[in-house]
Amino acid sequence: MREKLLILSVFIVASCGLAYELIAAALASYLMGDSVLQFSSIIGCYLFAMGIGSHLSKYVPEGRTLDRFIEIELLVGLIGGLSATLLFVVFAWAAAPFRSVLYALVFLTGTLVGMEIPLVMRVLNQRKTDFAELVSRVLTFDYMGALAVSLLFPLVLAPHLGLARSALLFGLVNVGIALLTTKIFRHELAHAKLHLLRGGVVALVLLGALLGADKLTKWSEKTLYGDEIIHAQTTPYQRLLITQWKNDTRLYINGNLQFSSRDEYRYHEALVHPVLEKLPQAKSVLVLGGGDGLAVREILKYQNIEHITLVDLDPAMTDLFTHNEKLVGFNQHSLSNPKVKIVNADAAQWIEQNLQVFDAIIIDFPDPSNFALGKLYSVPMYRLVKKHLSENGLMVVQSTSPLHAPRSYWCIDQTLKEVGLYTTPYHAFVPSFGEWGFILASNKPGYTPPTSYRVKTKFLDGETTRQMFFFPPDMQPVKVEANQLNNQSLVHYFEQDWSQVIR
Amino acid sequence: MFAMNRRQFLQNSAALGLAMTLPACRELSHWGIPIQVYLPGMQEGHRLRDHTPLPKPSETRRVKVAILGSGVAGSFAGWRLQQAGLRDVVLVSGPEPAGNAAAGQFGASAESAYPRGAHYLPLPSLASRHVRELLAAMGVIEADPYSERPRYNETALIHAPQERLWVQVQWQEGLLPHQGIPAAEIAEQQRFMAAIQQLQHAVGADGRKVFAIPLALSSQDPLWRGLDQLSFAQWLAQQGYRAPSLLWYLDYACRDDYGIGLAQTSAWAGLHYFAARGGEAHNAEPGAVLTWPTGLNPILQFMQQPLRQAGGWLPGMAVALQPEDQHVAVDIWQQGKVIRLLAERVICAMPLHVAQRLLDLRTLGYEPAQALPHAAWQVSNFLLKRYPAEPAHTPLSWDNVVYGSPSLGFVNSTHQLIRAAKPAHTVFTAYHAYAGQDPRQVRAHLASANADALYQTAVQDLATVYGFDRPIIAQEHIAAVEITLRGHAMSSPIPGFLSHSGLAALRQHSGQILFAHSDLSGLSVFEEASWWGEQAAQRILG
Repeated sequence: MREKLLILSVFIVASCGLAYELIAAALASYLMGDSVLQFSSIIGCYLFAMGIGSHLSKYVPEGRTLDRFIEIELLVGLIGGLSATLLFVVFAWAAAPFRSVLYALVFLTGTLVGMEIPLVMRVLNQRKTDFAELVSRVLTFDYMGALAVSLLFPLVLAPHLGLARSALLFGLVNVGIALLTTKIFRHELAHAKLHLLRGGVVALVLLGALLGADKLTKWSEKTLYGDEIIHAQTTPYQRLLITQWKNDTRLYINGNLQFSSRDEYRYHEALVHPVLEKLPQAKSVLVLGGGDGLAVREILKYQNIEHITLVDLDPAMTDLFTHNEKLVGFNQHSLSNPKVKIVNADAAQWIEQNLQVFDAIIIDFPDPSNFALGKLYSVPMYRLVKKHLSENGLMVVQSTSPLHAPRSYWCIDQTLKEVGLYTTPYHAFVPSFGEWGFILASNKPGYTPPTSYRVKTKFLDGETTRQMFFFPPDMQPVKVEANQLNNQSLVHYFEQDWSQVIR
Repeated sequence: MFAMNRRQFLQNSAALGLAMTLPACRELSHWGIPIQVYLPGMQEGHRLRDHTPLPKPSETRRVKVAILGSGVAGSFAGWRLQQAGLRDVVLVSGPEPAGNAAAGQFGASAESAYPRGAHYLPLPSLASRHVRELLAAMGVIEADPYSERPRYNETALIHAPQERLWVQVQWQEGLLPHQGIPAAEIAEQQRFMAAIQQLQHAVGADGRKVFAIPLALSSQDPLWRGLDQLSFAQWLAQQGYRAPSLLWYLDYACRDDYGIGLAQTSAWAGLHYFAARGGEAHNAEPGAVLTWPTGLNPILQFMQQPLRQAGGWLPGMAVALQPEDQHVAVDIWQQGKVIRLLAERVICAMPLHVAQRLLDLRTLGYEPAQALPHAAWQVSNFLLKRYPAEPAHTPLSWDNVVYGSPSLGFVNSTHQLIRAAKPAHTVFTAYHAYAGQDPRQVRAHLASANADALYQTAVQDLATVYGFDRPIIAQEHIAAVEITLRGHAMSSPIPGFLSHSGLAALRQHSGQILFAHSDLSGLSVFEEASWWGEQAAQRILG
C-alpha cells in the first residue's frame, strides 16, 4: 500500500512537473509572441534545471529523504501553482523584468521538480525493492504522468480553466500528495505535524488564489491604473479600459488617458463651443475621432445643427459609448441621437474617399507620438480636411499642450497655415491633462472669439473665453517648422517636448 | 491551424493544376503559402527570337506615329506628342504594359497594390528639365518647377522614416553603415562623401557638368571620360578606399541601380550615381525621393492617360518592321491575330535585344554581338496579413536593407498612405539583382527554377530580420507571394559603356524609325528613358 502510494506520487509529480513547464511556455508565447523560441528556450531551461535538481538531491542525508520529499512537494506546489498568476501580475506591472522573473521561476520550479524523482527512488530503495523493478516502475509512471498532462493540458485545462487557474490546480494536487504522504508515513517522519501545518497554509493560499484569480488579473491592472477597473476590452485596434475611483470615471486607450469624468466638460466645451457659437447658420458637423460621444454631446446643444457625422475607427468603442448604461450617462445618449451618423472607418481614409462638405469640423485625433500618427497632422491631411470645410466654416484641431509641448503645438499651427488656413490658437486648463491646446482654423481671416454663449455651459463664459485666447508670457509662440512628411518634425518635437516634462 | 493549412494546401493543389495551363506562370505551395511566378514578356520575346511563324495581318490601319512599347521611354514620347497636339498617335503596349514601371495588386483593396519593378524617382536635377516638366503637369511639383528647390506634393515625397539598415542584430537609421563601425571607417566614408560633393560641381574643359543626368548632357572632356576605362572597384582601390562598410555600401548602390557589383561597374557610372543627381525640394531634406504605393506606375498611368482617352492605346506587341517608301509597315501580334500599322514615323521604345529581332541594327551601325550585358532581376512581393513586430526606436521604414546581404532589402508598399491606424494588409517588395554572375547562366537557371527555390532568394533579407524562412513565422505573416522575374531587366554600365560606338550610332539615328529606350544610355533609370522618349518626340515634332 505504502509503496503503491509512492508510485502514485511519481505519476502525479511527473504530471505536475510537465504542467508547469507547459504553462510557462504557453504563457510566454501568449505574452511575448514568437512561440517557437519561447517553447524551446523554456523547455531547455526547465530540463537543465531538473538536471541540477537531480544533482542536488545527493546532498539530502539518507535519513531525511521522505521529509525533504514532502517539503519539496509543498514548495513546488506553492511556487509552480502561483507561477502563472505571478507572471501575469509582473507583466501587467512592468514589462522589463518579466523575462528575468519568468526564467527565474522556470529554473526554480525545474530544480525542485528535478529533486523529486531521485528522492522517491531513494525512499523506495531504502525499502529494499528490487532495483530493476524499482527503476522500471518509477520511470514507467513518470512517463505515463507526462502523457496524461500533455493531453489534458491543451484539450481540457487551458481552454476551460485558463493558464493561471490550471497552474493553481496543479499546485493543489502537489500539496495534496504532500499531505497524503505525510499522513501515511507520519511515523517515519521527523516533523509530521509541521508538514501538515505548512501543507494546510499552502493549500489555503492556493485555494484563495484560485478563487481570486480573476480578481487578481483585475487587481494587476488596477495597480497599473491606480483605480478600480469597471470595463476592460481588447478590440482588434486597441485596449479600452475604464476605471473608477469615487465619482471619477476615466477612459484609457492603450494605457493613455482619454478623459476623466470630473473635468472632461472643460476639454469638450473648449473643443466645440468656440467653433459652433460663431456659426449660428451651421447645419452639418464632422467629428474625426472622439468615439466617446462627449464632443457630440456638446454639439447637440445647438438646435441649428441637423447632421453630425462621427468617424471613429473602432466599432467596439462607439458601441460601448452607445449602449453602456454608465457611459451613456456621461455623453447623455448622444450617440443614439437620430441626428448622429456613426461611421466606423479609418478617418484619414474616409476623408480621402468622401466628397461631403461640412460647416464645422472637429478633429480629436490621438497625440502625434509616432510617425504613423504624425501623418494625421500633416500638410496633405489638412489639405484634404480643407476640401471638406465650407467656405464660411470653422474647424478645430486638438493640438497637444502649448505649455508642456510648445514646439509640437506651434508646429501644428504652422502646418495648418501652410495649406492656406487662417488659424486662431487657444488653450484651456483641464486638470487631468494640464494646460491643453487647440487650434481653430478657417478659410477666411477675421475670427473673433465669442463673448457669450447661446447654450448652457459649465466652464465657458465671456471671461474664461477671453483668457483662453490670451497667451501669457510663458506660452508665447516659438519658431518651428511646419510638419513636413519627409522629416515629420512634429514627431521629433513631440518626443523632445515630452521627454523634458516626464522624468 | 493544422486543418487550415491542409485546406489551403488542397486549394493550392487545385490552383496548381490550373496554373499548369497558363503559360509563363508558376504556382506552387510553399508551406501552404501560394506563390505565383510571373515572367513578363519571356514567352513573347522567345517566340520572336525563335522566328515562330505568325498569321498574316488580318487588318491594316494607317497612323501618323506608332510608338512600340509602353515603358517609360514610349509613354513619355506618347505624352509629349499628345501634349503637342499631334493626332493619330498609337502607343503599342508591348508584352508588359508599363515595362519596368509595371504594378500589380493582390486583392481589391488599395493596400494590396505593389510595384513589379522600379519603385522610386530621385528628385530631378536642374538638368532633368523634361522630368520636372512632367511632374509639374502631373501636380507632383506644386510650385517653381525649374528653380533650385521646387515645392513638391508631400503625398509623393518620401515620408519619414525613409530608410534603415540592419547591422549585426539591430536596425540603424540611414543606409550608410555607422552602428558599431570603427572610427577609421567612418572617416573614410566621410572622405568619400566629401569627394562626391566636389564631383557634383566638377565642370569639364567644355564647360559642361562632368556628371549630368541625363547622361547626354555630361561633359565630353576626355580627361574625365577616361574614368570609364576603369572599374569602380579599381578606381576606389587607386584612391585608397578600403573600409569594408564603405565598399559594401557602394557595391549595394551599384547592384541597386545597375544590377552589377563594384568590380563590374564602370568607375564613371559608379561616380555618376552619386554625383549626377542632387535635386532638391523646398519642402524636403536632401536625398529625398518620390514614390507611390505602386512604385513609378502612377507616372506611367498619367503619361498614358491622354493617349488612352484619344483611342491611341493598342494592346499587343510589334513582331515585324518593314520600312517602305512612304511609311513603315509594323505588324502587331494580338492574342491570335496580327494587325498591320502603316506608320509615317515609328518610335522603337523597346529594349535593343528585342529591337534587333525586328530590324537589322547592323545596317545602322549597332552590332548586337557587342551589346552591353543585361542584368537579371527578381522582384518579390509578399502580401502580409500581419505586420511583424518592430522596435519602437527604429520603426518600419520605407526601404529596409540588410548590411552584408547579397540582396537589396525590401520596401513597404503602404508607407505613403495616411491612416489613423495600420492598414489591414501591406505588401513588402523584396528586390534582388543577380549581380556577379554571368547573366546568360542566370537566365537559363531562372527559366526553369521552381517556386520554392525562387522563394529562398526572395526571402533572404526578410529571413534575417523577421525569420520568414521559418514555416510557422512565415505562415503567421504571409498571405501570398508573387515573384516577378526579369531576365533582361536592365542594361549594365560596364567599363567602356560610355564610348560604345553602336549605342552612339543609334542615339544619332534619325529617319522614319527612331529609337527611345534607356538602353541607349547604357543604364536604366527613369531620367534616361524619359530623355530618349523626349528626344524621339522632339525629332518628330521638328
